[in-house]
Amino acid sequence: MKPVVPSDSTPDPADELSRLFSTGEAVARYPRVTELLAAVEPPAFTRACHQLARLDPDAVAAAHPDRPAVTVAITGHGTLSTLVPPLTGELARHGILLRPHVSDFDSYVFDLLDPDSDLYGHGADLTLCVLDPMIVFDEVPVPWRPADVQRVLDEKLRTLERIAATFATASRGMLVLNTIPLPRRFTAQLVDHRSRSELGAVWREANARLLRLATSAPNLVVIDTDPLVAEGIPVTDARMSTYAKAHLSAELLARYARETGHLARHSAGRTKKCLVLDLDGTLWGGVLGDDGVEGVELSDSPKGEAFNGVQRAVKQIGSQGVLVAVVSKNELDLVRAAFRDRDDAELREDDFVRVIANWRPKHDNLKELAQTLNLGVDSFVFVDDSALECGLVRSELPGVAVVRVDGDPALHVEKILRDGWFDTPELTADDQQRVVRYQEELVRKDFLDSFDSVQDFLRELKVTVRLAPVQDAEIPRVSQLTLRTNQFNLTTHRLQQAQVRELAAGPDTRVLTIHSGDRFGDNGLVGAVFTRRHQDALHIDNFVLSCRVFSRGIEQTALAAVLEQARTDGLRAVYATYRPSKKNGAVRDLYPRYGFTPGTEDGDTLVFRHDLRLLPDRPEHVSLHEDLQVECDD
Amino acid sequence: MTSIDEFVSIVRDELGLPVTADDVDLSFDELPGWDSVQMLWLLTILEQRTGKSLSLPDMLEAPSLAGLHKLVVAAR
Repeated sequence: MKPVVPSDSTPDPADELSRLFSTGEAVARYPRVTELLAAVEPPAFTRACHQLARLDPDAVAAAHPDRPAVTVAITGHGTLSTLVPPLTGELARHGILLRPHVSDFDSYVFDLLDPDSDLYGHGADLTLCVLDPMIVFDEVPVPWRPADVQRVLDEKLRTLERIAATFATASRGMLVLNTIPLPRRFTAQLVDHRSRSELGAVWREANARLLRLATSAPNLVVIDTDPLVAEGIPVTDARMSTYAKAHLSAELLARYARETGHLARHSAGRTKKCLVLDLDGTLWGGVLGDDGVEGVELSDSPKGEAFNGVQRAVKQIGSQGVLVAVVSKNELDLVRAAFRDRDDAELREDDFVRVIANWRPKHDNLKELAQTLNLGVDSFVFVDDSALECGLVRSELPGVAVVRVDGDPALHVEKILRDGWFDTPELTADDQQRVVRYQEELVRKDFLDSFDSVQDFLRELKVTVRLAPVQDAEIPRVSQLTLRTNQFNLTTHRLQQAQVRELAAGPDTRVLTIHSGDRFGDNGLVGAVFTRRHQDALHIDNFVLSCRVFSRGIEQTALAAVLEQARTDGLRAVYATYRPSKKNGAVRDLYPRYGFTPGTEDGDTLVFRHDLRLLPDRPEHVSLHEDLQVECDD
Repeated sequence: MTSIDEFVSIVRDELGLPVTADDVDLSFDELPGWDSVQMLWLLTILEQRTGKSLSLPDMLEAPSLAGLHKLVVAAR
């Protein structure tokens, strides 16, 4: 396998990793282990995966209680425990601790069709049902024709459709299936090309049906193995398949594990949000300061065209809700001129949420950008061609994912896309609007600077808030908010769509959405309040708000409305829970600020109580449209 | 690869198994942390290291690390 992310740091990370394992320090220094893993390639990576898989997840969790953990259930047809080491390593590279449960051999049908099975009992975040060609060929008679394969495939697809339906009601997590690769050792057993074509067609029709299943089921992902295999990976190893019933090659399972790692990152709320790019050598060739606007390499030459390809890919990523920014050591005026005057550039200044060009250290610029966007630096992916800049950012800001694009620009796109940094099960309506909304946000910031007091600013901002029970079409966005939001997330309970739907439909639970807007535009669905009625009290189980709209009275308005409604309903108290995380310290005092008094403490979880006597004021500058009386019909 | 010590260190480093030269005659059932899946990884690792082609069914029948080492040495 070719090295893709070169290591910029001395000493050799592979040596340091081996030392941490051999001295038994790996558990105590687990955070360092995960950093080093991001900098090594096979075979050192493979070796580290085996070592990591031997660590006790409970011991790691006990030593590092802040680490996010993801529970993964693994089931399928063949021997699958070989998947555990690469999966452990891939999750660890993203800072996530794996808690694996491997089912017995060939038990996927029972595991997934019986809602009371042990598999469902694990309450896994991700359930991997690994499909291999022997699922079909183990049941095809000998001799066989394409029609026999088609019959077995049809049966399997019907079973998988039932599995998807059962899973949707029995599990709160995500089910991961995969398209089934077709090895030559079967196609070549048909001697005539006409039959081979028929086999190829029925096989791909079945895979297409499998892929379509994912477009309709909310908590199903189907990993397409075709693009993975097309990278030059063997599908199967005949000896492993024959003697050990390990039907997919170790290389393919390792590649599958990497894709799964991206899904785990999403489950753990660690999807990256912002792609930050350097300019010279990254988005165009040459040096802008030396070569001038007309001199930097774009189009005109083979290398220039390769940079156009990079720009097109960046534009494509940016069109799907990923924020794209520039941090470059350059003169800002010159950079602006380049994006304006180079007709052959694919990217324009308004494709970026922010263009930062100055001579300060890049890590300082990244920190400031994070503040401006109200995001953590650990939601950034930083791309640069300079080993020095990459090394500096890596050491100054360890949470930033650093991608070095050295050398040939034709290879930049693969390097940027390698780790699926922005992978998500589905896009929401808000995603397409995100860049525009952040840009509006920056206009608001300038507007704020023109006022003497925040109060004057807020009055002129003309904030509107709409609070209403969640609608069916909004469920993906609400789930996404619980998964993406870290700072204003009072209990950090991450919810998949099925869980949101369940809470919305429950007799005692409600999911209220917060929409906001102001003179500069619509903010969209920016928050949610999860409530539960128990006897004569209301419990606020969670409250999340997008970081784009903090500190303008929206949270106060929503909270006041919930309290007013509770009083109107004749309730005696409202209880609200705060569970600390690494990121949500800023909202620790949210409830006390609005008249809640400290109540019970359960470990680090705090429960506050409001007696509903003296309700908090609604901020004057916010106009509220609430719709709390009407029950959601569906 | 000829020496049993070298063989043990490969098993230890590549698989993360806490084995020493004292464990080579233990049957695989008694070897701490061992399960048969390890043999699949070892096949790949040992073939890469030695450049020899090994027989997986023979390896699966080997009783202990020492037995496995004999197979590797005898292989061509």
